[in-house]
Amino acid sequence: MKSIDKKDVVAALKTWATKYHVLCPVNKTNGDCIFDCLGEDKLTLDYGKPSLAPKSALFPQSEIIFEVKDDQYHEVISRQNTILFGIRACDMMGILQSSSFMARDNNDVYYRAKADATIKVVMACKGPQNETCFCTTTNSGPFAESGFDLQFFDMGERFLVEIGSREGEELASGDFFTDVKDREAEGSIAAFKEKAKQSIPRVAEIEKVAEMMKNGAIDDERWEEFGKKCIACGGCVFVCPTCTCFNVYDLVAMGDSGMRIRGWDTCLYSGFTREASMHNPRPTQGLRLKRRYEHKLKDYNEKDLLGGIYTCVGCGRCSDVCPVAIGILDVTRAIAGDYK
Amino acid sequence: MAGLAATFGSGAMTNSIPEFDEAELFFVIGSNTTAQHPLIGSRIIKAVQKGARLILADPRQIQLASFATMHLRHNIGTDVALLNGIMNIIISEGLYDKEFAEERTEGFNALRSVMEKYTPRVVEMISGIDAGQIEEAARMYATTKKAMILYAMGITQHATGTDNVKSCANLAMLTGHVGKPSTGVNPLRGQNNVQGACDMGALPNVFSGYQKVTDANVKKKFEDAWEVDLDDKVGMTVIDMMEAAQKGELKALYVMGENPIMSDPDTHHVELALSNLDFLVVQDIFLSETARMADVVLPAASFAEKDGTYTNTERRVQLSKKAINPLGSAKTDWEIICEVSRLAGYPMNYTCPSEIMHEINMLTPSYSGITYTRLEENPGLQWPCPDEGHPGTPYLHKDKFAKGFGTFMPCEFKPLIEVPDDEYDLLLTTGRISHHYHTGTMTRRISVLEREAPKPFIEINPLDAKRIGIRQNDLIEVTSRRGSIKAMAEVTPRVPPKVVFGTFHFHEASINLLTNPVYDPVAKIPEYKGCAVKIRRCA
Repeated sequence: MKSIDKKDVVAALKTWATKYHVLCPVNKTNGDCIFDCLGEDKLTLDYGKPSLAPKSALFPQSEIIFEVKDDQYHEVISRQNTILFGIRACDMMGILQSSSFMARDNNDVYYRAKADATIKVVMACKGPQNETCFCTTTNSGPFAESGFDLQFFDMGERFLVEIGSREGEELASGDFFTDVKDREAEGSIAAFKEKAKQSIPRVAEIEKVAEMMKNGAIDDERWEEFGKKCIACGGCVFVCPTCTCFNVYDLVAMGDSGMRIRGWDTCLYSGFTREASMHNPRPTQGLRLKRRYEHKLKDYNEKDLLGGIYTCVGCGRCSDVCPVAIGILDVTRAIAGDYK
Repeated sequence: MAGLAATFGSGAMTNSIPEFDEAELFFVIGSNTTAQHPLIGSRIIKAVQKGARLILADPRQIQLASFATMHLRHNIGTDVALLNGIMNIIISEGLYDKEFAEERTEGFNALRSVMEKYTPRVVEMISGIDAGQIEEAARMYATTKKAMILYAMGITQHATGTDNVKSCANLAMLTGHVGKPSTGVNPLRGQNNVQGACDMGALPNVFSGYQKVTDANVKKKFEDAWEVDLDDKVGMTVIDMMEAAQKGELKALYVMGENPIMSDPDTHHVELALSNLDFLVVQDIFLSETARMADVVLPAASFAEKDGTYTNTERRVQLSKKAINPLGSAKTDWEIICEVSRLAGYPMNYTCPSEIMHEINMLTPSYSGITYTRLEENPGLQWPCPDEGHPGTPYLHKDKFAKGFGTFMPCEFKPLIEVPDDEYDLLLTTGRISHHYHTGTMTRRISVLEREAPKPFIEINPLDAKRIGIRQNDLIEVTSRRGSIKAMAEVTPRVPPKVVFGTFHFHEASINLLTNPVYDPVAKIPEYKGCAVKIRRCA
């Protein structure tokens, strides 16, 4: 275990930034917190739940996967040695699960290249970041059990730092970090974890609805009620740490050059499943919502769970952003209420 | 805009977006809000789920219909009659706000004498809406305190657009539903900055802040500021320009960020007009259909490549910063204009957008207090904002209308100019879908949007489809007196019988080949919402 004084964190990150691309939490003037490049005085250590999951570091909103120039194809696999500093435990679980999912069947080389080149530094949560946090229900927080390279615990004037990997150990072996070997520090972390866990109540409706899904107990009509409200903006998907659907398309530039790009997509768009004949196996917005929530709470591969319970990691962002209040908490609470 | 300016003295949304959350009733007429203003539409849905009521007047079964307390599917082009019918009941049952009518408005007697004719029975005949429903809607709107009227292009894009708007304003004044939070008449503007463009005087009759070009004092103020002589005559609307071009009276045209080949009615007529010009300049971010006809194309910077402000539908001026520098030879619009002006012999020596904003502050009373310094610290400021200490104005006409008294301007019902007959037996109405923006110059280049809505389509009621022998996804030909397009049939009860619906997003089947080039006499807005067509299935 290591420790670092809070006042030294910026300097430590700057040292890391000489070798790595450092992404860290930054408060924007409009009040949002996002993961952004480390810059002068931009870092904040006082932040809640960043409004976007940091998945774009591994899975960019859009990326070129090959280029065509002078009648030649060039594969483009972008990667950059990156440190993701200050991600939350729910997002760490999101990365673990997505990495596993993207490695199955055909290993996704574009994702893999970035995942392998990214060091994850988790900031354990003291408690819920807002009213939609429910990571204790999904076993994905408020602190990370695995997957991280370093994990920071806020102890007031300083952070205690848990080492999760050899890369993490190397990072924390430079200036600003001191070794901590005493039992007292271990006790502090245990107490931190216990207190944090107790402060985030479990959401029984998630468990109940997951069980109901397994038993096929939710009528399609119920989903259509939610579907009527959905404006198909895709916001829930774009903020979700475990949504990784993409679309692939070509951009033809001038002359005989061009590029193939992949970009975020969502199963909530009708064209996602529409077939060439115009037949759509998921013809209504209600059925598309059903499919997405079932993917989160029922239809997943056990191998991808990696300590979680579902492929929902309990960050609550879909409930934060949904303009018509049909995020996962709203939907499960409504369903559980209906079927008392 | 002309209609609201005439009745209230200000042609903008009277109230603000957050006020939707507290409203007790929405009267939505001619707005497919969830598709075109989805974040406003979602506030309506949430308010309705909390108990607010929704009166929806729209011929189509749009998404909001499933949340409507009442859905009035009135005949297309009968908005004035429907609104008059509602006012008839409100007056005859004494449900109007007598105090408000007396103290804040003028012309009530004129309104009453016109409304007398529009009894529920008469309006039922015109609009197709059951008299009982009209009565119910009238009572509901009049007796609910926080009642908002919302409209969009369904009201304005008619040859009677100004009358439609005036009738909405009459209704709100009659019931005193204006000048208070969560009330008012709220035209939802269709573009992120159309309000800003109007505010800045991109209109033929006003300088910035709706200061009239015909006003000698205003003219002098701008002449002094710009050190030039200015014309005090009202200029031409787009429609006038196209007509003048066709007659050879207009020689040159400079188009910025607009694609009239696809957005103006009767495309053939527009093509003729543009090709008759001696010189056409188009400034755009893509080579649009109109830019292809231009003698000179000036590549403009996109939103991500420039600093500046946008003024949204609730009159909120917001600062926007560039993410990247302009690519290739593109330049920001203000830089292009400055360069053209310098070459034309009038140097404009601005070095950045904030200098231009400073000039706006000096010359535009409603924008005086909206400075860059304040915008840096505020999530936007709503005009009128007369000085730097002013917090901005969430809702207009609080104690007094912008023009003093609100004026009732009663309107008589006038039918659509081109109604279906034996040959052209269906009524075509046009609109938009959520995935594409206007003529598709930008959105049809976005792969996911293009996948969601890849092909031109025409919505047709199952009864009509069956009669003509059309099945889902059949290719059909739609013909009006002006032209013909081919598109895919979407057989759906979303449209009522005898009505078909299409959009103007698709160049391969441009709906404006069909639309009728007749205009509102005041606002010069075309009648996009109704013309007669016939349909056949392509073999």
